[in-house]
Amino acid sequence: MSSLDQFESVFNSAAKETFVSQSIKIKQVLIILDLPEALQDDYLYLVKGFLSVLELNSEVEWKIFGKSESSRMQDTLNAVEHYRPDLIVTYRHLHSDSDDWPYGLGTHIDVLTQATTTPVLILPNPDRKNLSNHSLNKTDRVMAVTDHLAGDHSLVSYSAHLTQERGTLFLAHVEDKAVFDRYIGAVSKIPDLDTETASKQIQTQLLKEPNDYVESCRAGLNKTFPTIKVEHRVRLGSRMSDYRNLVDENEIDLLVMYTKDDEQLAMHGVAYPLAVELRSTPLLML
Amino acid sequence: MNLILLAASDHGISEVAPWVTYLFTALLAIMVLCLALEEKIHAKKSVIVGVTAVVALLLGAFTGIMPFGEVHLPNGHKMNLPVFIPGIEWGVITIILGSSLFVDVTSKSGLFTFIAIKFTKMSKGDPRKLLWFYGIMTVVFSAVLNNVTAMIIVGSLSAVSLGKLQQRNKLLGFLLIEGLLTNIGGLLTLISSVPNIIVGTTANIGFVTFLIKAAPYVIFATAATIWMGSRVFKIESLKTDEERDIAMKQVSSFDERDGIESMGFFWFGAGMLLLFICFIASASFQGWPIGKLGMGFVAMMFAVIMLCKFKSSVGKFYSGIDWDLLFFFVYLFVAIYAMEQAKVLELIGKGIAPIIEMGANLGGGLLLVSSAFASSVTDNIPLAAVLSNILKSMSIPGDSSMWWSVIFGANLGGNLTPIGSASTLVAVTIMHKHDLKISFIGFVKKALPFAILHIILATIYVLFILKHLPG
Repeated sequence: MSSLDQFESVFNSAAKETFVSQSIKIKQVLIILDLPEALQDDYLYLVKGFLSVLELNSEVEWKIFGKSESSRMQDTLNAVEHYRPDLIVTYRHLHSDSDDWPYGLGTHIDVLTQATTTPVLILPNPDRKNLSNHSLNKTDRVMAVTDHLAGDHSLVSYSAHLTQERGTLFLAHVEDKAVFDRYIGAVSKIPDLDTETASKQIQTQLLKEPNDYVESCRAGLNKTFPTIKVEHRVRLGSRMSDYRNLVDENEIDLLVMYTKDDEQLAMHGVAYPLAVELRSTPLLML
Repeated sequence: MNLILLAASDHGISEVAPWVTYLFTALLAIMVLCLALEEKIHAKKSVIVGVTAVVALLLGAFTGIMPFGEVHLPNGHKMNLPVFIPGIEWGVITIILGSSLFVDVTSKSGLFTFIAIKFTKMSKGDPRKLLWFYGIMTVVFSAVLNNVTAMIIVGSLSAVSLGKLQQRNKLLGFLLIEGLLTNIGGLLTLISSVPNIIVGTTANIGFVTFLIKAAPYVIFATAATIWMGSRVFKIESLKTDEERDIAMKQVSSFDERDGIESMGFFWFGAGMLLLFICFIASASFQGWPIGKLGMGFVAMMFAVIMLCKFKSSVGKFYSGIDWDLLFFFVYLFVAIYAMEQAKVLELIGKGIAPIIEMGANLGGGLLLVSSAFASSVTDNIPLAAVLSNILKSMSIPGDSSMWWSVIFGANLGGNLTPIGSASTLVAVTIMHKHDLKISFIGFVKKALPFAILHIILATIYVLFILKHLPG
């Protein structure tokens, strides 16, 4: 029956995940901040400039929920419920004594990203120094990161929607080499399985799926966003260091990733450690 | 069989004590019973038949019925061969070995999966169209390749595509119909199934004659089976535009080129497959050298040509050969050879002589129905081998409908039970793999109306239509 499995594998491989473009509408943006009132307009101006891509397609209504209104978590959630925005914009360590600790995002951000269904754009803390020249300028170079690129239609659609005209959208997928090595280590101890073949073919297949999906994204996005250039970065490696390097090397203006996980209250997979470490990069958390 | 006859006549063995014949008959009955209970006794076919062959040879040696001695070659030379070697039908063995190697290597070109996915896309995801396309594809693949490979390709594609189309509830119906159609497709050409090869070569039926005689039945039975299957299993067309649109998108995500590693090899495989069919067809013509070398040579030649593509890694193809099947044939021919010496075939021949003496119509019909029922509970290959040897020993002419009764009965009997043929067994294996529970009785209940239809149609066809066809 080995050939039965062989043919089923061939057909499973041929049944590819193809990109289905999703319509993204961002008409109302809620900016949540804890800055003194005098600085709020400056911050609004900064955010509008950074997200100028939104106003290319439709009019955007900008709302501010500031420190003067409340700093309680529940009030913030109530404000989200009240405004029902399409996008929340805030920054790290909102309502936090510690301005830019490298060990977390702050309680407000942790709760906002998980307790609401609205995408949250997290900007660097306003007090953060040494931001790169391109930071908070425009969204010319956007990167979507995931550990399961094939089928992430919403992630790709949001990323494309937030990429400036003639900008570049990077679709990044890093397979965890440590996990891969552990499985191949197990295979190497099973006499019935050929380790070299397993290692080579599993690696090829793991990377083939996201690569095929990128091709389908490229074809799909070409219709809706013809001026955007789509590039892919698919590899086997260490997720944290590879994503860090990809963000630096490609001078990424905005990183887009999923944070929701049906099986846990905490942030999904690699999203939290990345969000904690990439303190100078704006993050869109879906 | 020439070598056998020469060897046998050399020693003039003609008298065999009746108790010896009965002893060998009992041995044959035990073998048939064990083959029917293969799953229960957890023994591979080759081992069951191998044990029978060994016991038969030992008994033959002790009772003095085996024709030991030199074998006379056509060029007048004599040669010492082990007594069991001349009994093996090497033509059949080489056809099976060569064509399975050829199909295995050709499948690496991605040709069969390309065709299968193209058909899926042509259906636009509509279940009823899909059933028609897959049904026709099953028959064509069964005819050109073999019915087990056809069932594996179409069955595995059905599981994947119906899963993708979220129509998993129809998988049982698809697999059952495809399983039944493999045995109908297996009737189309001389090389489509092993009983065809055995009976066809014994009766000297050529490839083209076989195709002309069998094709009308195959076309009609295929259409009837698919039509009936779509009603029995309620496989209907999509009703709304929205359903059609979703299904269209789902099947369009299949990439038929995914399995193709090299377009050059793909076209080479396609060209070789066409040439293979042409050469196999022309091997029936004795007038030219290829015809003299036979279909076994053609199959082996094409296998070797295809293997040249993988000249440094042919080991994986050799290890993929179904050695259980090949040794099953080798041992079976040895066992039947011993049975022939013990005059068991003559005894069975006397048993079925009254049926044959009933004439072409009643006798032929009874032979077809009884062959079908016999092959539904045991392997149709020994049945075909024994019956064809008996018909030959009774000097039944090659154009008699009796041969076709055996061919149709041996093939279609496989549709009565899940163990009736290797391809229906594959269909059941795929069902179990996808958690579709179906018992032996459950299969029989679902398949019986179809199998009865096939046998009735075949009986009418063999008795009243076949003789009017050219060839």
